[in-house]
Amino acid sequence: MTISPDAVYAVSDDVVAREIEGEIIIVPLVAGIGDLEDELFTLNETGKAIWDKLDGRRRLTEVIQELSAEYQAAPGEIEADVLGLTAELVRRRMLVAVPAS
Amino acid sequence: MPSPPPKPCLYAVPGGVLSLSGPALLEFLRAVLAKGASFRFKARGFSMLPFIQDGDVLTVSPRPARRPQPGEVVAYCHPETGKLVVHRVSARRAGGYLLRGDNAPEADGLVPPANVLGRVDWVERRSRRMRFGQGQERRVIALLARHNLLHPLIFRASQMLRPLKRRYPV
Repeated sequence: MTISPDAVYAVSDDVVAREIEGEIIIVPLVAGIGDLEDELFTLNETGKAIWDKLDGRRRLTEVIQELSAEYQAAPGEIEADVLGLTAELVRRRMLVAVPAS
Repeated sequence: MPSPPPKPCLYAVPGGVLSLSGPALLEFLRAVLAKGASFRFKARGFSMLPFIQDGDVLTVSPRPARRPQPGEVVAYCHPETGKLVVHRVSARRAGGYLLRGDNAPEADGLVPPANVLGRVDWVERRSRRMRFGQGQERRVIALLARHNLLHPLIFRASQMLRPLKRRYPV
């Protein structure tokens, strides 16, 4: 699956996600999102930092720039992480592409 | 120089069950039911013994179009405390429902229909679905509980079954 850095992504209607005690909990609402029936998901700290910025407004390029500044890391390294996680979340129907405003 | 951040990871929560409590659980339950989906979580407490035990996994489905019937177990937001409660419908009254825990000494008071969030469809204990208490017998259970007869009956039954349990431990 190819994820364009210029694309904008938002949380899918197929999941409910909430931040609880500093953790993101993702509950799939339709079958087939998890490998097993009735799975729930959470993200590690880096994943949460990316998830928090996938708000349906920022392009992935902006997310990458912001995270590079926050983590003082090379943009190339951050880009691979952001695109990789976004691809997995799109594949699992937790994120959907939305038109850029 | 700061160490590089760890790779982002998505993890599956083992067992796919939320062990939340308090406002977080209530908020999650509301959000999931509002989308028409069922919600699974671990029950906490002892007010529904023996039919729901601490640690049982409950599946709550969105409130059906028809009104909850006496004997059904529902999840509701307590009108006074704002807490999530899972109790059995004891009776219907004008303006709401009388709800009561099977192991509770008295009814919860009148609960407006808007506070009822969903119905408990399944109770799982050690990965097995528990059916008793959810079928037609639920009406009898509600009636017995309403008249404070449920626990004397269960106590008597457990005394009668004790020799059998000793002889044939599960």
